Amino acid sequence: MAACGLNVIIGYAGQVSLGHAAFVGIGAYTAALLATKAGFSFFLSLPIVLVVSATFGLLLGLPSLRVREDFLAITTIGINFIVEAMFNYVPFFGGALGIGGIPPILLFGSKMKGLGFFYLCLFFLLIVLFVCWWFSRSWAGLACFALREEESAASSMGISPVRFKLLAFVVGTCIAGLSGALSAHYITFISAGDFSFPFSIHLLCMVVIGGMGTLWGPVLGALILGALPEIFRPIVDYRILFYTLLLLLMIRFQPGGLLGESMMVRRMMNKISLRVK
Amino acid sequence: MSRALLEVEDVSKHFGGLKALDDVSFRVMPGEILGLIGPNGAGKTVCFNLISGVYKPTLGRILFDGQSTEGSPPHEIANKGVGRTFQIVKPFGSLSVLENVLVAQGISKYRAFSKMWSSWRCESEAKRGLEVLERVGLGDLARRKAGLLPLGNLRRLEIARALIVGHKLILLDESFSGLRHEEISRLENLVRSIREDGITVLLIEHNTRVAMGLCDRLVVLDHGRKIAEGHPEEIQKNEKVIEAYLGRKRAKNAA
Repeated sequence: MAACGLNVIIGYAGQVSLGHAAFVGIGAYTAALLATKAGFSFFLSLPIVLVVSATFGLLLGLPSLRVREDFLAITTIGINFIVEAMFNYVPFFGGALGIGGIPPILLFGSKMKGLGFFYLCLFFLLIVLFVCWWFSRSWAGLACFALREEESAASSMGISPVRFKLLAFVVGTCIAGLSGALSAHYITFISAGDFSFPFSIHLLCMVVIGGMGTLWGPVLGALILGALPEIFRPIVDYRILFYTLLLLLMIRFQPGGLLGESMMVRRMMNKISLRVK
Repeated sequence: MSRALLEVEDVSKHFGGLKALDDVSFRVMPGEILGLIGPNGAGKTVCFNLISGVYKPTLGRILFDGQSTEGSPPHEIANKGVGRTFQIVKPFGSLSVLENVLVAQGISKYRAFSKMWSSWRCESEAKRGLEVLERVGLGDLARRKAGLLPLGNLRRLEIARALIVGHKLILLDESFSGLRHEEISRLENLVRSIREDGITVLLIEHNTRVAMGLCDRLVVLDHGRKIAEGHPEEIQKNEKVIEAYLGRKRAKNAA
């Protein structure tokens, strides 16, 4: 789900963010604090989580979106480290011990665990997908596509670059916050290390492998990267190496991602259908 | 004569020590086709970038429709009704030709936060977009991906986008360069029909024959300075202009 949010930023608006885990973390910590200190239930804290992540997205996006491409990537890495350090060293956030004892989500009086939680996530995922789909069909989305392709041409057509990049950024961070809150309530324990830089890279891999700028791409990417560690458990020590290899292969053979343009699946189907004829 | 649509007053643009434009003034009257010509590096494109807000002038003022625009960002100037094309074409490569035009059609929606969430994939918008494409002669390529089009079509696509944005003034930056003869004459007709709709055209042109034939008036730049202004016939006889294009010795021989 967080991958979907990142997809809005990278795939739709063309802004490379390498600090997406920070926003997942902000969402998770907000939910955790509200639940443990204020005793809020998940559904009560949900709107607050969204507002908080959006505000942070806005505040952190405003300065960083003014720089371009590679600089933006570096800035967002910085944001990631700063946020992680904040969680780690400020006692209010539980320091290195993190926050434990987060109650699971209550729905109609019963605790959501296992399958129930899975359905709840699926439900939110559908909402997120719907938001993404709607965004890509709206004028705001179109403005972002145009900015991604040619910034100077887009601005000569009345599109304010800062405004729409920021919009995509905020939508992306909101979704990240939501996913963070969900995971905090599921795992019931969070610490700063969960939202560190490698997690950002992990998210980026999901988006790239699935297909940037596509609706279902990030979902597929997340499924693949979620399942792979299970399948390749014997080579767990070489996982990062394997990711790198996978990413390089993707960039070489499928730059648009599995569900992106000129996707391998479709090409193979075409070949097969030609042979049948 | 009525009030000028665009006034460029004593504008200079310096890049460090380089004076790309030095104290240039001219006016564009409503409904005319004004040509901006000059040798390479004369400052024509810089002038366009100043008018459309990409650069801010070092000195001087630019008035559009009586309002000063220097220092406004490009998207605000576009909102006032100035459309432009680029010398090096800038299509939205991975979008379709029709979508490229639709981006320009959204101009009124990008300003209001409430309006930008409505969908752009509706019949009426597509129809409007197709009409404009039909007009520039790209109707049958609407579904094609813009990045795959040849240069001539891309130039027309840029004009289509500029037409939608620029309901008062459009700036054409060398839209004729690199095109075949037939394409040039088709484009000339298009520019004339744009003027007939009441849209003012300011164009940069290298091809002097096109500029002479198409423009009502010409402004000639050389090394960042305005060296002449007037009707095409006057310009053709102007010694300074001949000198700038051909060099001093040849100018004497020609005279």
